[in-house]
Amino acid sequence: MSDSGDSDITWIFYKDRPEWSDVTPVPENDGSKPVVVIAHSEKFEDVYDYFRAILQTNEKSERALHLTKDAVELNPANYTVWQYRRDLLQALGTDLRSELDYVEAVIKQSPKNYQVWHHRRVLVEWLQDSNLELELTHDALLQDPKNYHAWQHRQWAIKTFGLFEKEMEFVDNLITDDVRNNSAWNQRYFVMNNHLGWSDMNVQKEICYTLEKIKFVKNNESAWNYLRGVLLHDSKGLSGNTEVTSFCEELYSNKCRSPYLMAFLIDICDEAIKKGEINSSYNAEKALDLCQALATKYDKIRCKYWNFIAEKFRKYQSNQD
Amino acid sequence: MINEENKELAHRQHVKYFMRFLNILPSSLSSHDSTRVTIAYFSVAGLDVLGSITSISIELRSRIIDWLYLLQVQPRKSDGDMSTCGFQGSSTINIELDNANSHYRCGHLAMTYTALCTLLALGDDLSRVNRKAIINGVKALQTEEGNFSATLSGCESDMRFVYCAACISYILNDWSGFNVEKATDYIIKCMGYDYGIAQCPELESHGGTTYCALATLSLTNRLDKLSEYQMDSLRRWLVFRQVDGFQGRPNKPVDTCYSFWVGASLKMLDILHLTNYNSNKRYVYETQDYVVGGFSKWPDTCTDPMHTYLGLAGLSLIGESGLLEIVPTLNITRRAYDHLKSLHQKWDSEL
Repeated sequence: MSDSGDSDITWIFYKDRPEWSDVTPVPENDGSKPVVVIAHSEKFEDVYDYFRAILQTNEKSERALHLTKDAVELNPANYTVWQYRRDLLQALGTDLRSELDYVEAVIKQSPKNYQVWHHRRVLVEWLQDSNLELELTHDALLQDPKNYHAWQHRQWAIKTFGLFEKEMEFVDNLITDDVRNNSAWNQRYFVMNNHLGWSDMNVQKEICYTLEKIKFVKNNESAWNYLRGVLLHDSKGLSGNTEVTSFCEELYSNKCRSPYLMAFLIDICDEAIKKGEINSSYNAEKALDLCQALATKYDKIRCKYWNFIAEKFRKYQSNQD
Repeated sequence: MINEENKELAHRQHVKYFMRFLNILPSSLSSHDSTRVTIAYFSVAGLDVLGSITSISIELRSRIIDWLYLLQVQPRKSDGDMSTCGFQGSSTINIELDNANSHYRCGHLAMTYTALCTLLALGDDLSRVNRKAIINGVKALQTEEGNFSATLSGCESDMRFVYCAACISYILNDWSGFNVEKATDYIIKCMGYDYGIAQCPELESHGGTTYCALATLSLTNRLDKLSEYQMDSLRRWLVFRQVDGFQGRPNKPVDTCYSFWVGASLKMLDILHLTNYNSNKRYVYETQDYVVGGFSKWPDTCTDPMHTYLGLAGLSLIGESGLLEIVPTLNITRRAYDHLKSLHQKWDSEL
């Protein structure tokens, strides 16, 4: 956020305000020869000179609360100002509902600022009221569906206050909007893991859902990763679910050469070998062919990596001989 | 931006670029007011990786050092309490406070970490660092969960500050303020179903937080707490971050800084050499401003000191000529690291 102070003609400096005449401003002590000096506007210096003054006297007043608003506007990343503001809110018994509105407005302006989201969280904890959190984060995620801060706040609110009920619907919509939204897939796992649970039936349902999405966009790492995540809860592992393996085989025979599909098949081979399934068609030879194809044709940027993985399977082969 | 020329390092321009940031900055950067130490770090570390630390005059070097020490919070005079000790990010709250409100003037883990790295790069002997006090300050910030808050007064806690706390403990050669077992448990809890590592448990895996986690495990000698399967899967997740340069999360755009965050993670796991250096390099150079110096996250966008330093550090990891070697865990040059090791020897001999 830039400092718009100089262009703000209606602004009155604190030093010119009669109601502040009893306060002596405290200038910044940056030493005699400072470096990395920011040429702040006069407004910035004025506001922070008075902020230091009230901090030093520990003044807890309405005018101090107002001053913190000006200080935050000039630098929303100043965590000391936010903390002092919270202490003021408590000391003055301020209506926290209006503070929720205020911080919502600041979040809308600075949605990727750690301090504002922290302020919001503390307020919600004080009020023990999470009614507005899903909507707030929903709005932030409309602007940027991958905003890490918004997801973090949302997961915290959902977990702390048990707000799981409609979350799967929300996730479904996001994945429908953008099947490559990795944050949404992660949230899907979060809901399954904490709320719906990994019963055999749910595992099967999630597999069906994910395979549908992969059919729609095959080269989507997010969906493939989620599939692996679901199979962590299938006792038969990566290689034991026939629906998954036949889906992969079909994709492959239909000429799909997505590196994620091929990597998945390689990992199935690896698991089968480790389980000692000697007669499986998922063997070292198949894995080596896949590594070779990835390295030379379908994922050339990771050529050296696939050759490195191939080495592992060559060792398996020589151990068998 | 002149693309024809953008295949080589604009060494001289980058030196000038960092020198400008060390002096005076425009009011448009006022929102960085509380984190000026990080700007000093990116600039000094940037000059260091460029092999140009001597471009900073001896006079300016001592000014930077003196300014940093001005930001060190000392134990409370009345009772010797050290819970607020560490470095502040600027002098905004650099005022005398009495007991009732002394906690508002407190160190910040990211600022302490970057201040120490800057001092090391400048060749300071850390003799003015109150080591005991800073370690007590670190100790006061570890949470029940095992992660760390950045400051004592009102701050979130996550993986970034676990990393900063680990670096501080390593640099000061004192782990008494850092519960390694708890931090290790926290890191492992943050590993996702895709085997990347997140800021907090169950959040989305992220290249930057994966770096913080791995560097911490490496600095605490706990990389072996990851099983072989976890390790192989994490390697896969990291290798898949390469598009041409690197992205921080699956299906996100490539960004210059991840050539360092993901590159350094791969380096710590011994497989950076399996990535495609040429593509990586080509992308990073696309984000270079050849005329006035600096790197940006994306081509044709605004440069900033963080992306400039991390762009250079990322290039250094893949052996670009004209750049000093970077130690991936601490994110300082080998030159600064060797200086640190000599300080450790000196401190050991003083015991």
